Amino acid sequence: MAEEKEDAWDATQWHEVKKGETLWKIAETYYGDGSLYTKIFEANRDTLKDPNLIKVGQKLRIP
Amino acid sequence: MIGGGKRMKKWLKPMVLMVLVLFVAACASGKKPAEEAIKAAEAAINAAKGEAMKYLPDQVKTLEDGLTAAKEALAKKDYKAALSAAKDLPGKANDLAAAAATKKEELTKAWKEMSGGLPKMVEAIKSRVDILSQSKKLPANIDKAKFEGIKAGLPEVTQMWDDAQKAFSGGNLADAISKAKTIKDKAVEMMTTLGMQVPAGAKS
Repeated sequence: MAEEKEDAWDATQWHEVKKGETLWKIAETYYGDGSLYTKIFEANRDTLKDPNLIKVGQKLRIP
Repeated sequence: MIGGGKRMKKWLKPMVLMVLVLFVAACASGKKPAEEAIKAAEAAINAAKGEAMKYLPDQVKTLEDGLTAAKEALAKKDYKAALSAAKDLPGKANDLAAAAATKKEELTKAWKEMSGGLPKMVEAIKSRVDILSQSKKLPANIDKAKFEGIKAGLPEVTQMWDDAQKAFSGGNLADAISKAKTIKDKAVEMMTTLGMQVPAGAKS
């Protein structure tokens, strides 16, 4: 099977979840406002079913 | 001695004439090769010029200057100099055509990469700016004045991208690339200011 070539121009912004982090806290880091966590949740609906359930090491898209 | 002088005079006239004939013949024989060399050089330069002007205009000018020098020498009846100036020009014109083709290939590749990547960068910036605009307080690493500057500069970047695409559609690849590079630099600066990860392709 051919290996998928990495796109050097992919501008998707990623965040790897660390111990103790919540979507609220991640939103505060990137946006300065925790209440905008829904933006991150919506951008990751394919992997996140519940905004309160994120796992350490999980990679999240940050729009 | 006087008699010898008369004999000399008798031979001198035809001798001078012969020398003159030989000189004129020598000059005339150099004219045709010089003219032909100039004709060949001009044809080769004209053939290479079209594409080369778009990608290597300085080198086209060098060849044209060489051709002008050859023509000037021809006009002054200095056929040796005219031939010398013109004889290498067809080969140089062929080299220039090959170099222009290589340059075009490089620029096309660069355009292909940037035209695929830049819209992704601009979209990512727009998305981040849109969300940050809804924030009650900007993150500590983002300066408010700089953020406002980015917000105000985004329409200009979009306009520049439209211009770059128009230049490409119009066949002006070098101009399109130049505009795309400016957009790339601006996008990288914006992403860095916003604390975003810059794509690897945009770092080179």
